[in-house]
Amino acid sequence: MHNFQFLLHGFQVVFTLQNLGATMLGCVLGLIIGAMPGIGSLAGCALLLPLTYKFNPTTAIIMLGGLYYSNMFGGAFSAILLNIPGDTPAIMTALDGYPMATKKKRPGQALLTANFSSFIGGLIGMVILTFTGPALADVGLKFGPVEMTTLLLFAMTSIGWLVGENPTKGLILTLLGMLVASMGMDTLTGSPRYDFGNVYLLGGVPFTPFVIGIVGFSQVILLMEQRNIAPQMVTDKLTLRGSMITKHDAKRLALPAIRGGILGTFIGVLPGAGATAAAIMSYSAQKSFKSEEPLGTGAIEGIAASESANNGAAAGAFAPLLALGIPGSGTGAVLLGGLMLWGLNPGPLLFKNSPDFAWGLIASLFIANILALAVSWGVIPFLIKILSVPTKLLIPAITVVCIVGSYSTSNSMYGVIIMFISGVVGYIMQKFKYSYAPLLLAFVLSPMLESNMRKAFIISRGNLDIFVQKPISLAFVIAIAGIALFPIVRYFLVRAGVMKPKAAKK
Amino acid sequence: MRKGFMMIALLLAIAVAAPVFAQATFTPSQNIEWIVTSSPGGGSDIYTRIITDIMTKANLINGKTILVNNKTDGGGEVGRLTVSRVAAGKQADHTLLTFNSGDLMPMVANTANRIENFTPIALMAVDKQLLYIGEQSKYKTFADVIAAVKAGKNVVIAGSKGDDVATYKMLIKELGFTETQLAFITNNATSDAITSILGGHVDLVMSKPAAADQYVLAGKLTPILALSNVRFTGNLASAPTLSEVGNYKNVEYPVWRGVVGPKAMSQAAAKYWSGVFKAVSDSDAWKTGYIEKYKLQPFYMDYEQAKDYMTAYQADYLKSIGK
Repeated sequence: MHNFQFLLHGFQVVFTLQNLGATMLGCVLGLIIGAMPGIGSLAGCALLLPLTYKFNPTTAIIMLGGLYYSNMFGGAFSAILLNIPGDTPAIMTALDGYPMATKKKRPGQALLTANFSSFIGGLIGMVILTFTGPALADVGLKFGPVEMTTLLLFAMTSIGWLVGENPTKGLILTLLGMLVASMGMDTLTGSPRYDFGNVYLLGGVPFTPFVIGIVGFSQVILLMEQRNIAPQMVTDKLTLRGSMITKHDAKRLALPAIRGGILGTFIGVLPGAGATAAAIMSYSAQKSFKSEEPLGTGAIEGIAASESANNGAAAGAFAPLLALGIPGSGTGAVLLGGLMLWGLNPGPLLFKNSPDFAWGLIASLFIANILALAVSWGVIPFLIKILSVPTKLLIPAITVVCIVGSYSTSNSMYGVIIMFISGVVGYIMQKFKYSYAPLLLAFVLSPMLESNMRKAFIISRGNLDIFVQKPISLAFVIAIAGIALFPIVRYFLVRAGVMKPKAAKK
Repeated sequence: MRKGFMMIALLLAIAVAAPVFAQATFTPSQNIEWIVTSSPGGGSDIYTRIITDIMTKANLINGKTILVNNKTDGGGEVGRLTVSRVAAGKQADHTLLTFNSGDLMPMVANTANRIENFTPIALMAVDKQLLYIGEQSKYKTFADVIAAVKAGKNVVIAGSKGDDVATYKMLIKELGFTETQLAFITNNATSDAITSILGGHVDLVMSKPAAADQYVLAGKLTPILALSNVRFTGNLASAPTLSEVGNYKNVEYPVWRGVVGPKAMSQAAAKYWSGVFKAVSDSDAWKTGYIEKYKLQPFYMDYEQAKDYMTAYQADYLKSIGK
């Protein structure tokens, strides 16, 4: 129970007017930055970092921690209301959030679901972080290139659940995603791939503009087709009470949120994975559990799985950062840079040498979680008014948001061009009923898979044995084999009359 | 008459001297744009921001503002290309670019851009690497490592990009091993390499002193080989150089940090900037806040020396990759 004492001490640190104010400021900024597409927590923290040089380090990190954390809340807003993920971990939220807000006409409930799931996911992550922080970081270390390869392969098999009714289309998009992701400099040897002699393409296709284009700008083109149709939501009076979720909704979101929180925390701890990968994996995992409505049509379970996982991961990422000084994500790296500038030495000694700082940060995450929930709840009635804006006004507004968002990833027009091109591709995909989920999943996971697999082969001198020699990776190999072989086994069992044929999916 | 003559002579003298004078007294007259080709928070970014901070606080730049611009497109190549192409004039004299050995290598390997397209301004510091073992490593000294490789064992070093790869190649060449015997895993950052040795997935890790510092203090990493001509000091002093380990020459691959401007930058401006960087390099804020803190070695060179150094470095590197 030592950790609990430390946590209480952490709260003591946080509960000064100055630090509470910093947390609050961080939360509000995080929500705004999160809701703006393109400007994710990475840019937010990087922009704010110079401002904090003059603060005392504890106050500064508390503010940035609050910002990083509440960013995950904010990302869901634009994903649900505009179908443009505010930051990349919210991609999967858009899949169900937007249909729920528009087709099901329950925007308030969709937002609340996202917020509650974020809260639950984050809370789970923080509790796990508090009690097992350093131990958790050690578990993360056990995942070297070999283990990561099999874990990622396992995650890739979940594409099978995401492809929907048409496996051919799903496979095409998966391969397209892998192909696009392989552009740019090879991570291991640094040699250029598919750069077509273009200096911009040397750096590859940037993720954020690509996502904004595929998911968001394609939406703008679709909207242009229906610009003369009056918006459907004008008449509904949107109040806080009107957007409350029912008891039944709460029941539906609870289980996926808890599962997502635990899975997300774990993924967040792993080196090199991150909130986006966590949300994607959790969402695909949800496909194999029971959902009341099919995922992708506005199911509460889908929103809950995605949002809880990305918040869990945000909390989980702090474990290796604080316990070992290892950044689990880009934002983590910026925070780490901040720690060094403030004169703290992140690393295995941080908990011992600067307990005020480490536990103050963890405690501030708890506070940030509650504050972010409260603040975002308060702004819901105002936010959902966006949906009653006439389409013809919405089109230029969203376009501007898309352009600004993709420009700001590298402060150049390159991102904007990528955004427009992928927007057109995304539009064509939607017209021909291709779902973008497998594409994005392959785009996020395949570079990690490639570099880990190649590292594993360097370690083993090209020997395949290594994947079955290590216990963790052996377990994943068995799981992959199980998933891949199950349909075949079932086919024979059904033929032999041992098993009943599975009812056709909706 | 004589007075008139004197007058004319004086005017002539001024007329002749004026351009020289004007050239010699370049001072910044507008905001300075300083381009960094890595993301905020990275090593190059910290280096740049510390210098700008010192310049601003010590008022070395005529009260003008430095705008740091992180241009990361194309792995940094876009930023470098942009700077190399700035046209002569006021803008060219007010544009700076952070330029390190780790920037030069991918630039000349992957693009047609060369150091000749820039005006070198100064070199500021050099960094060197060490090899470390982790708590779970099978080998305790570098002699053990050499023996194991000779016995046919598979030994793996993890490190970062660019400079580390070049140092590794130099090391195996000196040892006479192949890339399969003593393998190297390139990570995106040294922190990733350290992560993999902490988990016991590789045998050795290559790192500069700064990145490994905390882990050495905590006893999680132990230095076993200094990739340098002389031993390091402090808690790294226990690591021998390669010539102490066996009958080999020392392996040292200097990793330098510098600054360049566009090719079109005027000679006067290059001279002026070179002097400003000299002032930074001599300041206490630089010595304690950067060199000591990040465990580098001071290595100031003015614009003329830097030009020779960078050009020679490029020629060596091009030769080593067979270009």
